[in-house]
Amino acid sequence: MKYAVETFDLTKNYGDFTAVDKLKMKIRNKSIFGFLGPNGAGKTTTVKVLTCLALPTSGTATVAGYDILENPNEVRQKIGMIPQMVSLYGDLTVKENIHMCADFYGVPEDLIESRADELMEMMDIKYAENKYVSQLSGGMKQKASVVASLIHQPDILFMDEPTIGLDPTTKRILWNLVEELHSEGRTIILCSHDMYEVELLCDDVGIINNGVLAAFNTPQALKDAMINEQKNVKNSKRSNIAKIVEEIQKEATPEEYAAYDKIKDHAEEENRDTRQLSVIISNLNDELFNQLKNLSITYNITKQSSGRITLDILDSDESVTEVISTIIMNNGIITSISTKDPSLEDVFVKVTAKKKEGGEI
Amino acid sequence: MVETKKLKWIFKKDIMVLWRHKPRLISYLLFPIIMITLFGYGFGGTVTDIPVVIVSQSSGPVTDATINAIKSESLYDVTSIINDPNQGRQMVLNGQDKAAIVLPPNYDDTQSSTPKNVILDIDSSDEIVSSALIPTTQALFSQLSNQIGVQQLQASGLTPSSVSSSTINVLSGNQSTILSNPTTSGINFENIVNSINFQVNKLYGNISYIDFLVPGVLALVILFSCMFGMGESIAGERERGELARLFMTPTSIATVVGGKILSKLVQETGRAILLIAVAIGLFGIVIAGSMLLTLLLLVLVALCFVGLGMMISARVSTQADYQQIIQPITLPMMFLSGVFFPVETMPWIFQKLAYLIPLTYANDALRAVMLKGAGLGAIWLDIVVLLGFTVLFFGLGIRGFNRDI
Ligand SMILES: Nc1ncnc2c1ncn2[C@@H]1O[C@H](COP(=O)(O)OP(=O)(O)OP(=O)(O)O)[C@@H](O)[C@H]1O
Ligand SMILES: [Mg+2]
Repeated sequence: MKYAVETFDLTKNYGDFTAVDKLKMKIRNKSIFGFLGPNGAGKTTTVKVLTCLALPTSGTATVAGYDILENPNEVRQKIGMIPQMVSLYGDLTVKENIHMCADFYGVPEDLIESRADELMEMMDIKYAENKYVSQLSGGMKQKASVVASLIHQPDILFMDEPTIGLDPTTKRILWNLVEELHSEGRTIILCSHDMYEVELLCDDVGIINNGVLAAFNTPQALKDAMINEQKNVKNSKRSNIAKIVEEIQKEATPEEYAAYDKIKDHAEEENRDTRQLSVIISNLNDELFNQLKNLSITYNITKQSSGRITLDILDSDESVTEVISTIIMNNGIITSISTKDPSLEDVFVKVTAKKKEGGEI
Repeated sequence: MVETKKLKWIFKKDIMVLWRHKPRLISYLLFPIIMITLFGYGFGGTVTDIPVVIVSQSSGPVTDATINAIKSESLYDVTSIINDPNQGRQMVLNGQDKAAIVLPPNYDDTQSSTPKNVILDIDSSDEIVSSALIPTTQALFSQLSNQIGVQQLQASGLTPSSVSSSTINVLSGNQSTILSNPTTSGINFENIVNSINFQVNKLYGNISYIDFLVPGVLALVILFSCMFGMGESIAGERERGELARLFMTPTSIATVVGGKILSKLVQETGRAILLIAVAIGLFGIVIAGSMLLTLLLLVLVALCFVGLGMMISARVSTQADYQQIIQPITLPMMFLSGVFFPVETMPWIFQKLAYLIPLTYANDALRAVMLKGAGLGAIWLDIVVLLGFTVLFFGLGIRGFNRDI
């Protein structure tokens, strides 16, 4: 089985509203898949359909190799789900809930106790095993829910914003758990708005917008694609301006021709590929600053307090080196240096910027 | 094997939750007792001990016999015996007594053939009291006048045409007009002596209104608690997302519904037993027919209403929706099914509607068994109809069950 999840034109309507629109998506087996998208994009809806908690309006999907329409119970047996809304029985204790779930999954009676204990230890909820779920805090409920969802050792674990409302320590417990499950060869599908979490954990990322998949790749590839895309936009812009000006120049007088050349140069300058570089030089002086300013690759330079300078330089492999060697040759001491690359968050904002036409509430 | 474990869990969970919420448990057990008590005492009891005053303006054996007869009748509670008719009327007007029985001055005069006018000044604003007092008082005096007539016949050898008649004066609600003209609303009843004998054969023994009510109230209590309970049981759990937790597991709708039915059924049967025990202990109800058949009927009735509740609960997403939807279903059911009034006395359209209501059949069967001592042979049709309703409700319920969250 190559794909843990594969959807075929999966569609879910609520009345006239299409929450998931002919979704085509493949999630590699044994990967950690980050499922991103703005609020109301259709993540939870997709997960509900994939976990057989809701029926699709049309299309279908296979989960763990089983068709969600034809073999929903096989799918349910193979998957675990930590839903957005915690739903253990409030009037039963944590332990009772876990045992109940175990019995509902048909976990052999002699394994339940040890597995439950192990998972509760791991999630640090064992101390509250005899408390009623209704008396737990939000995070504790979430932990109990995780234990209940893993009691049958599912191959695929769906997590819908699992770290919402968790304290940093608990968050890490959960992240460790995810990595451990991953190392055991399980697939994890993680819906999240936390880009840090996604970059930390996920092998692949899918971004859904208005019910359609807007991007799908590894986090790094998505970011690289964004850098390349920015370049392409600029290149096409430049060539457009250059083309227009050249067109005008054909019928221009020699004086005009020179003037148009200036315009062309200026336009090119405006659209040059730049990269932002931020450096802190502890012994920054005016001489060094001016030297940096006069470098041919420097388009813009600003000085901030305590020796920090921000440079817009030509985006090439040599230009960063040139800046650094200039500083060193002038006996400058570099305490910090960073370049600004697009983050996953930038990718997210860009990919999901398109709003549905005729936008609904 | 796995499925029985699941059934057991759903059942166990419901019972555990009930046990853990003591206030819920108490109100759960008290509800049928309150219902039966309310209906038993409030609606069901025969009226007794109505406070009356006797105005006696004569003395002698007839007067004494009359006063004794009134006193021994449980309907009356004789508060005082006075001799001023106006005072008697006043006592009724100021609410001290419900009626004044005024015997005329010539009441003990057995020799004369002048009619003796007995007047009943009654607080007719109290419909229940007057409808109980008038016929009883009338019957009492007609019996007395028969005796007097017989005595007269024996004493004088005259024909029975000259017997005395009693007049009962009814005081209507508008008291001021009555006071100015007290006799205008008087009704005269001519007595017929010895010409008609009236005999009542109570075919099922002495059955009071409470006896008549208990079977219906039993069915009603089950209706209410099943209907209200199923809201919490399915719509409530759905609302809290607990049902979704079960449906995440490889579990069929039939199993979940089956577990719910099982737990509800056991609870309702327990309550039905309690209810019967209270009815017997508190109101001295006698079950004429088989106790086992009564219980089986109650279980069937519970099953039927659990089905109805489930059918509705399965389709809605919140408890509030559920409560809203069942109100216009349960209340008409309660009145149309003949729990309080026999179906035969209702307008024809209601009679037709009554046949569409499972509670009607439940009532009919329970009454037959509990009052008439009927066996299975007499109520099989009711049972078939109830079973039909049950199958219909479950079929529609499971088909319409919304598994989506
Ligand atoms: N039960 C429902 N009835 C009607 N519309 C619904 C229902 N559930 C979801 N929707 C709609 O479907 C769309 C997708 O919702 P969904 O919950 O899948 O979003 P999401 O991507 O999980 O958002 P979030 O990040 O806020 O959790 C939303 O526009 C929502 O209003
Ligand atoms: Mg969501």
